[in-house]
Amino acid sequence: MAASTSDAVLPETDGKTNENTVKIICLGDSAVGKSKLVERFLMDGYKPQQLSTYALTLFRYNTKVGGQEVTVDFWDTAGQERFSSMHPSYYHQAHACIMVFDVTRKVTYKNLPQWYKELRSYRPEIPCLLAANKIDVDYNITHKNFNFAKKYNLPFYFVSAADGANVVKLFREAIKSAAAYKANPTDFMDEVMQELENFDDLKLSPDGSLDLVNNSEDKESEKETSPASTPEGAPESS
Amino acid sequence: MSITPKKCAIRVDPPTLVLTYTDEVTGKDRQRSMPLRNFTKRSGVDRFVRELKANPRHKKYLENVSAIQLEKLLSIIKERLSGLSMEESLEKVKKELSVDPDEDLNQLDDQALQKKKSIMDETFEKNRKKPGEEGFQYDVDVDFGGGIESSGWDSGEESDPQF
Repeated sequence: MAASTSDAVLPETDGKTNENTVKIICLGDSAVGKSKLVERFLMDGYKPQQLSTYALTLFRYNTKVGGQEVTVDFWDTAGQERFSSMHPSYYHQAHACIMVFDVTRKVTYKNLPQWYKELRSYRPEIPCLLAANKIDVDYNITHKNFNFAKKYNLPFYFVSAADGANVVKLFREAIKSAAAYKANPTDFMDEVMQELENFDDLKLSPDGSLDLVNNSEDKESEKETSPASTPEGAPESS
Repeated sequence: MSITPKKCAIRVDPPTLVLTYTDEVTGKDRQRSMPLRNFTKRSGVDRFVRELKANPRHKKYLENVSAIQLEKLLSIIKERLSGLSMEESLEKVKKELSVDPDEDLNQLDDQALQKKKSIMDETFEKNRKKPGEEGFQYDVDVDFGGGIESSGWDSGEESDPQF
Protein backbone atom coordinates (compact mmCIF):
# COMPACT_ATOMS: atom_id res chain seq x y z
CA MET A 1 0.00 0.00 0.00
CA ALA A 2 1.25 3.45 -0.83
CA ALA A 3 1.17 4.48 2.80
CA SER A 4 4.32 2.57 3.64
CA THR A 5 6.84 5.22 2.54
CA SER A 6 5.36 8.03 4.57
CA ASP A 7 4.76 6.09 7.71
CA ALA A 8 8.48 6.00 8.31
CA VAL A 9 8.76 9.76 7.96
CA LEU A 10 5.74 11.09 9.75
CA PRO A 11 6.41 11.54 13.44
CA GLU A 12 3.87 9.97 15.76
CA THR A 13 0.83 12.13 16.09
CA ASP A 14 0.28 12.16 19.84
CA GLY A 15 -2.51 9.61 19.55
CA LYS A 16 -4.93 12.06 17.95
CA THR A 17 -6.72 11.08 14.80
CA ASN A 18 -5.58 12.45 11.49
CA GLU A 19 -9.08 13.44 10.68
CA ASN A 20 -8.55 17.17 10.92
CA THR A 21 -4.90 17.27 9.98
CA VAL A 22 -3.82 18.71 6.67
CA LYS A 23 -0.37 18.58 5.14
CA ILE A 24 1.00 21.52 3.21
CA ILE A 25 4.32 21.22 1.44
CA CYS A 26 6.71 23.99 0.37
CA LEU A 27 8.51 23.65 -2.94
CA GLY A 28 11.08 25.66 -4.82
CA ASP A 29 14.80 26.25 -5.27
CA SER A 30 17.41 26.63 -2.54
CA ALA A 31 17.41 30.02 -0.84
CA VAL A 32 14.16 31.35 -2.29
CA GLY A 33 12.95 31.94 1.28
CA LYS A 34 10.65 28.99 1.94
CA SER A 35 11.61 28.63 5.59
CA LYS A 36 11.57 32.36 6.15
CA LEU A 37 8.03 32.54 4.82
CA VAL A 38 6.81 29.78 7.13
CA GLU A 39 8.62 31.43 10.03
CA ARG A 40 7.09 34.80 9.21
CA PHE A 41 3.63 33.25 9.20
CA LEU A 42 4.14 31.39 12.48
CA MET A 43 6.23 34.23 14.00
CA ASP A 44 9.17 34.05 16.36
CA GLY A 45 9.35 31.63 19.20
CA TYR A 46 7.93 28.78 17.19
CA LYS A 47 10.10 25.69 17.47
CA PRO A 48 9.90 23.46 14.44
CA GLN A 49 10.64 19.79 14.53
CA GLN A 50 13.84 19.19 12.63
CA LEU A 51 14.04 15.78 11.07
CA SER A 52 17.55 15.98 9.72
CA THR A 53 17.65 12.32 8.81
CA TYR A 54 14.99 13.06 6.25
CA ALA A 55 16.24 16.54 5.33
CA LEU A 56 13.00 18.16 6.23
CA THR A 57 11.59 20.50 8.83
CA LEU A 58 8.09 20.07 10.17
CA PHE A 59 6.03 22.93 11.54
CA ARG A 60 2.80 22.00 13.26
CA TYR A 61 0.18 24.67 13.62
CA ASN A 62 -3.33 24.65 15.03
CA THR A 63 -6.02 26.86 13.64
CA LYS A 64 -9.67 26.97 12.65
CA VAL A 65 -11.21 26.81 9.22
CA GLY A 66 -14.88 27.69 9.05
CA GLY A 67 -15.24 27.11 12.79
CA GLN A 68 -13.54 23.70 12.56
CA GLU A 69 -10.34 22.91 14.44
CA VAL A 70 -7.63 22.04 11.97
CA THR A 71 -4.07 20.89 12.57
CA VAL A 72 -1.72 21.97 9.82
CA ASP A 73 1.61 20.30 9.16
CA PHE A 74 3.88 22.50 7.08
CA TRP A 75 6.64 20.52 5.44
CA ASP A 76 9.78 22.41 4.57
CA THR A 77 12.69 20.97 2.65
CA ALA A 78 15.84 21.61 4.76
CA GLY A 79 18.16 21.23 1.83
CA GLN A 80 16.65 18.38 -0.15
CA GLU A 81 16.58 20.73 -3.16
CA ARG A 82 20.20 19.73 -3.52
CA PHE A 83 19.01 16.77 -5.51
CA SER A 84 16.70 18.95 -7.63
CA SER A 85 14.00 16.53 -6.61
CA MET A 86 12.24 15.53 -3.44
CA HIS A 87 11.76 12.12 -1.88
CA PRO A 88 8.33 10.70 -2.81
CA SER A 89 7.31 10.69 0.84
CA TYR A 90 7.55 14.47 0.80
CA TYR A 91 4.59 14.58 -1.56
CA HIS A 92 2.71 11.67 -0.07
CA GLN A 93 -0.75 12.64 1.11
CA ALA A 94 -0.07 16.37 0.82
CA HIS A 95 -3.24 18.42 0.61
CA ALA A 96 -1.79 21.64 -0.78
CA CYS A 97 1.49 23.03 -2.03
CA ILE A 98 3.07 26.45 -1.72
CA MET A 99 5.55 26.90 -4.54
CA VAL A 100 8.05 29.72 -4.15
CA PHE A 101 10.47 31.57 -6.39
CA ASP A 102 12.80 34.51 -5.74
CA VAL A 103 12.07 37.64 -7.80
CA THR A 104 15.72 38.66 -7.58
CA ARG A 105 16.92 35.43 -9.19
CA LYS A 106 15.55 34.48 -12.57
CA VAL A 107 16.92 30.96 -12.36
CA THR A 108 14.50 30.17 -9.54
CA TYR A 109 11.61 31.08 -11.83
CA LYS A 110 13.09 29.08 -14.68
CA ASN A 111 13.20 26.02 -12.42
CA LEU A 112 9.50 26.21 -11.55
CA PRO A 113 8.38 23.88 -14.35
CA GLN A 114 10.64 21.18 -13.00
CA TRP A 115 9.18 21.47 -9.49
CA TYR A 116 5.67 21.70 -10.81
CA LYS A 117 6.13 18.66 -13.00
CA GLU A 118 7.40 16.61 -10.08
CA LEU A 119 4.55 17.82 -7.87
CA ARG A 120 1.96 16.82 -10.46
CA SER A 121 3.52 13.41 -10.99
CA TYR A 122 2.78 12.61 -7.35
CA ARG A 123 -0.16 14.88 -6.66
CA PRO A 124 -2.06 15.59 -9.87
CA GLU A 125 -4.95 17.36 -8.22
CA ILE A 126 -3.99 19.18 -5.03
CA PRO A 127 -4.25 22.98 -4.87
CA CYS A 128 -0.95 24.69 -5.61
CA LEU A 129 -0.28 28.34 -4.82
CA LEU A 130 2.58 30.31 -6.33
CA ALA A 131 4.48 32.91 -4.30
CA ALA A 132 6.92 35.47 -5.73
CA ASN A 133 9.13 36.24 -2.73
CA LYS A 134 11.57 39.05 -1.87
CA ILE A 135 9.55 41.86 -3.44
CA ASP A 136 10.98 44.12 -0.71
CA VAL A 137 14.28 44.21 -2.63
CA ASP A 138 12.58 46.19 -5.39
CA TYR A 139 8.86 46.82 -5.26
CA ASN A 140 8.82 47.64 -9.00
CA ILE A 141 8.75 43.93 -9.64
CA THR A 142 5.08 43.95 -8.65
CA HIS A 143 4.29 45.76 -11.90
CA LYS A 144 5.53 42.80 -13.87
CA ASN A 145 3.60 39.75 -14.82
CA PHE A 146 4.74 36.16 -14.67
CA ASN A 147 3.00 33.79 -17.00
CA PHE A 148 3.68 30.60 -15.14
CA ALA A 149 0.83 31.15 -12.72
CA LYS A 150 -1.59 31.98 -15.51
CA LYS A 151 -0.50 29.07 -17.62
CA TYR A 152 -1.31 26.52 -14.94
CA ASN A 153 -4.07 28.53 -13.36
CA LEU A 154 -2.38 28.89 -9.97
CA PRO A 155 -3.34 31.52 -7.41
CA PHE A 156 -0.43 33.98 -7.42
CA TYR A 157 0.93 36.17 -4.62
CA PHE A 158 3.64 38.81 -4.44
CA VAL A 159 5.12 38.32 -0.97
CA SER A 160 7.95 39.42 1.29
CA ALA A 161 9.10 37.38 4.25
CA ALA A 162 11.09 40.44 5.34
CA ASP A 163 8.35 43.07 5.57
CA GLY A 164 5.50 40.57 5.75
CA ALA A 165 3.60 41.61 2.64
CA ASN A 166 0.86 39.09 1.83
CA VAL A 167 2.49 36.29 3.82
CA VAL A 168 -0.45 35.74 6.13
CA LYS A 169 -2.87 35.95 3.21
CA LEU A 170 -0.88 33.31 1.30
CA PHE A 171 -0.81 30.86 4.19
CA ARG A 172 -4.45 31.31 5.17
CA GLU A 173 -5.43 30.71 1.59
CA ALA A 174 -3.23 27.60 1.46
CA ILE A 175 -4.77 26.23 4.65
CA LYS A 176 -8.26 26.88 3.36
CA SER A 177 -7.53 25.15 0.05
CA ALA A 178 -5.89 22.22 1.81
CA ALA A 179 -8.88 21.72 4.11
CA ALA A 180 -11.30 22.02 1.21
CA TYR A 181 -9.29 19.52 -0.80
CA LYS A 182 -9.16 17.07 2.04
CA ALA A 183 -12.91 17.30 2.52
CA ASN A 184 -13.48 16.63 -1.15
CA PRO A 185 -10.52 14.88 -2.77
CA THR A 186 -10.58 14.41 -6.51
CA ASP A 187 -7.61 12.12 -6.80
CA PHE A 188 -8.11 8.37 -6.98
CA MET A 189 -5.57 7.59 -4.25
CA ASP A 190 -7.11 10.18 -1.95
CA GLU A 191 -10.51 8.65 -2.40
CA VAL A 192 -9.04 5.33 -1.39
CA MET A 193 -7.44 6.93 1.64
CA GLN A 194 -10.73 8.57 2.49
CA GLU A 195 -12.41 5.19 2.29
CA LEU A 196 -9.79 3.71 4.58
CA GLU A 197 -10.32 6.53 7.02
CA ASN A 198 -14.01 5.75 7.00
CA PHE A 199 -13.08 2.26 8.05
CA ASP A 200 -11.97 3.75 11.34
CA ASP A 201 -15.68 3.82 12.02
CA LEU A 202 -15.83 0.11 11.53
CA LYS A 203 -14.24 -2.30 13.86
CA LEU A 204 -13.40 -5.89 13.46
CA SER A 205 -15.11 -8.09 15.96
CA PRO A 206 -13.05 -10.86 17.55
CA ASP A 207 -14.35 -13.52 15.21
CA GLY A 208 -13.11 -11.53 12.27
CA SER A 209 -16.44 -10.29 10.96
CA LEU A 210 -17.09 -6.59 10.55
CA ASP A 211 -19.36 -4.77 12.91
CA LEU A 212 -20.66 -1.33 12.17
CA VAL A 213 -20.22 1.27 14.83
CA ASN A 214 -22.56 4.26 14.88
CA ASN A 215 -22.42 4.49 11.16
CA SER A 216 -24.71 2.17 9.36
CA GLU A 217 -26.51 4.29 6.80
CA ASP A 218 -26.23 2.27 3.66
CA LYS A 219 -25.37 -1.00 5.26
CA GLU A 220 -28.38 -1.30 7.51
CA SER A 221 -30.30 -3.44 5.07
CA GLU A 222 -27.72 -6.14 5.45
CA LYS A 223 -28.59 -8.32 8.35
CA GLU A 224 -26.42 -10.91 9.99
CA THR A 225 -23.26 -10.13 8.06
CA SER A 226 -21.41 -13.29 7.33
CA PRO A 227 -17.62 -13.22 7.68
CA ALA A 228 -17.35 -13.54 3.94
CA SER A 229 -19.25 -10.38 3.19
CA THR A 230 -16.44 -7.96 3.90
CA PRO A 231 -16.95 -4.81 1.83
CA GLU A 232 -14.64 -4.24 -1.07
CA GLY A 233 -11.35 -2.57 -0.34
CA ALA A 234 -11.22 -3.59 3.30
CA PRO A 235 -7.75 -3.64 4.74
CA GLU A 236 -6.33 -7.09 5.30
CA SER A 237 -5.91 -6.43 8.96
CA SER A 238 -6.71 -3.55 11.26
CA MET B 1 25.16 51.33 22.98
CA SER B 2 27.96 53.89 23.14
CA ILE B 3 29.66 53.11 19.82
CA THR B 4 28.23 53.96 16.43
CA PRO B 5 30.33 52.68 13.53
CA LYS B 6 30.77 55.21 10.72
CA LYS B 7 33.04 53.52 8.23
CA CYS B 8 35.58 50.79 7.84
CA ALA B 9 38.90 50.86 6.08
CA ILE B 10 41.86 48.57 5.59
CA ARG B 11 45.64 48.81 5.51
CA VAL B 12 47.38 46.11 3.52
CA ASP B 13 50.81 46.38 5.10
CA PRO B 14 50.74 45.41 7.83
CA PRO B 15 47.23 43.91 7.51
CA THR B 16 44.99 46.13 9.61
CA LEU B 17 41.31 46.88 9.95
CA VAL B 18 40.51 50.52 10.69
CA LEU B 19 37.18 51.60 12.08
CA THR B 20 35.91 55.16 12.28
CA TYR B 21 33.15 55.47 14.85
CA THR B 22 31.30 57.98 16.97
CA ASP B 23 31.71 57.69 20.69
CA GLU B 24 28.15 58.42 21.77
CA VAL B 25 29.25 59.40 25.27
CA THR B 26 31.48 62.24 24.18
CA GLY B 27 29.96 62.76 20.74
CA LYS B 28 33.40 62.66 19.18
CA ASP B 29 34.48 60.76 16.09
CA ARG B 30 37.37 58.46 16.71
CA GLN B 31 39.44 55.93 14.87
CA ARG B 32 40.49 52.48 15.96
CA SER B 33 43.14 50.34 14.31
CA MET B 34 42.90 46.61 14.75
CA PRO B 35 46.01 44.79 13.54
CA LEU B 36 45.37 41.43 11.92
CA ARG B 37 48.26 39.49 13.29
CA ASN B 38 49.52 36.56 11.24
CA PHE B 39 47.09 37.34 8.45
CA THR B 40 48.53 36.03 5.18
CA LYS B 41 47.33 35.36 1.66
CA ARG B 42 46.53 31.85 2.80
CA SER B 43 44.55 32.78 5.90
CA GLY B 44 40.94 31.76 6.31
CA VAL B 45 38.90 34.95 6.11
CA ASP B 46 35.89 33.44 7.87
CA ARG B 47 38.00 32.47 10.85
CA PHE B 48 39.58 35.90 11.15
CA VAL B 49 36.20 37.59 11.02
CA ARG B 50 34.89 35.28 13.73
CA GLU B 51 37.92 35.95 15.89
CA LEU B 52 37.70 39.71 15.43
CA LYS B 53 34.04 39.72 16.44
CA ALA B 54 34.82 37.57 19.46
CA ASN B 55 37.97 39.43 20.49
CA PRO B 56 37.36 40.93 23.94
CA ARG B 57 39.13 44.17 23.04
CA HIS B 58 37.44 44.73 19.65
CA LYS B 59 34.08 43.12 20.27
CA LYS B 60 32.11 46.18 21.29
CA TYR B 61 33.40 48.19 18.34
CA LEU B 62 32.53 45.55 15.77
CA GLU B 63 29.19 44.45 17.18
CA ASN B 64 27.26 46.54 14.69
CA VAL B 65 29.51 45.94 11.72
CA SER B 66 28.18 43.11 9.59
CA ALA B 67 30.23 39.97 9.16
CA ILE B 68 29.84 40.19 5.41
CA GLN B 69 31.39 43.65 5.32
CA LEU B 70 34.35 42.50 7.38
CA GLU B 71 34.69 39.47 5.17
CA LYS B 72 34.76 41.68 2.11
CA LEU B 73 37.47 43.95 3.53
CA LEU B 74 39.65 41.09 4.69
CA SER B 75 39.24 39.33 1.37
CA ILE B 76 40.54 42.46 -0.36
CA ILE B 77 43.63 42.44 1.85
CA LYS B 78 44.10 38.81 0.98
CA GLU B 79 43.94 39.44 -2.77
CA ARG B 80 46.35 42.35 -2.42
CA LEU B 81 48.76 40.12 -0.52
CA SER B 82 48.50 37.61 -3.36
CA GLY B 83 49.72 40.31 -5.73
CA LEU B 84 46.52 41.62 -7.34
CA SER B 85 46.11 45.38 -7.82
CA MET B 86 43.54 47.25 -5.76
CA GLU B 87 41.18 47.40 -8.72
CA GLU B 88 41.51 43.73 -9.52
CA SER B 89 41.04 42.78 -5.89
CA LEU B 90 37.90 44.86 -5.60
CA GLU B 91 36.39 43.35 -8.69
CA LYS B 92 37.20 39.81 -7.70
CA VAL B 93 35.87 40.15 -4.17
CA LYS B 94 32.74 41.94 -5.30
CA LYS B 95 31.98 39.08 -7.63
CA GLU B 96 32.61 36.48 -4.95
CA LEU B 97 30.37 38.21 -2.47
CA SER B 98 27.38 38.78 -4.67
CA VAL B 99 24.70 36.45 -5.88
CA ASP B 100 24.50 35.84 -9.59
CA PRO B 101 20.79 35.85 -10.49
CA ASP B 102 21.41 33.12 -13.02
CA GLU B 103 23.41 30.83 -10.80
CA ASP B 104 21.58 27.67 -9.81
CA LEU B 105 22.15 27.51 -6.06
CA ASN B 106 20.70 24.00 -5.94
CA GLN B 107 24.07 22.83 -7.23
CA LEU B 108 26.17 24.30 -4.40
CA ASP B 109 27.54 22.40 -1.44
CA ASP B 110 26.42 23.32 2.05
CA GLN B 111 29.19 25.77 2.79
CA ALA B 112 28.94 27.66 -0.49
CA LEU B 113 25.15 27.78 -0.16
CA GLN B 114 25.40 29.12 3.39
CA LYS B 115 27.66 31.90 2.14
CA LYS B 116 25.19 32.92 -0.55
CA LYS B 117 22.40 32.80 1.99
CA SER B 118 24.29 35.07 4.36
CA ILE B 119 24.83 37.58 1.55
CA MET B 120 21.11 37.61 0.86
CA ASP B 121 20.37 37.76 4.57
CA GLU B 122 21.98 41.20 4.62
CA THR B 123 19.14 42.56 2.52
CA PHE B 124 16.59 40.52 4.41
CA GLU B 125 17.68 41.95 7.76
CA LYS B 126 17.82 45.48 6.33
CA ASN B 127 14.26 45.31 5.03
CA ARG B 128 12.91 43.26 7.89
CA LYS B 129 10.08 44.55 10.02
CA LYS B 130 10.15 42.90 13.41
CA PRO B 131 7.40 42.47 15.97
CA GLY B 132 7.63 45.25 18.54
CA GLU B 133 9.00 47.73 16.03
CA GLU B 134 6.96 50.72 15.06
CA GLY B 135 4.72 50.02 12.12
CA PHE B 136 4.87 46.27 12.52
CA GLN B 137 1.73 44.46 11.48
CA TYR B 138 1.22 40.71 11.52
CA ASP B 139 -1.09 40.58 8.57
CA VAL B 140 0.12 42.87 5.80
CA ASP B 141 -2.38 42.61 2.99
CA VAL B 142 -1.32 44.43 -0.17
CA ASP B 143 -3.20 44.32 -3.44
CA PHE B 144 -0.77 44.90 -6.29
CA GLY B 145 -3.52 44.79 -8.84
CA GLY B 146 -1.69 42.44 -11.16
CA GLY B 147 1.33 43.17 -13.30
CA ILE B 148 1.03 44.98 -16.61
CA GLU B 149 4.58 44.90 -17.92
CA SER B 150 6.19 41.71 -19.07
CA SER B 151 8.79 40.36 -16.67
CA GLY B 152 10.84 39.15 -19.60
CA TRP B 153 11.31 35.93 -17.69
CA ASP B 154 8.88 33.95 -19.79
CA SER B 155 10.83 34.01 -23.02
CA GLY B 156 12.45 30.81 -24.16
CA GLU B 157 9.39 28.66 -23.65
CA GLU B 158 11.41 25.60 -24.65
CA SER B 159 12.55 25.38 -21.05
CA ASP B 160 8.94 25.00 -20.01
CA PRO B 161 7.87 21.62 -21.29
CA GLN B 162 4.22 20.81 -21.58
CA PHE B 163 2.99 17.95 -19.53
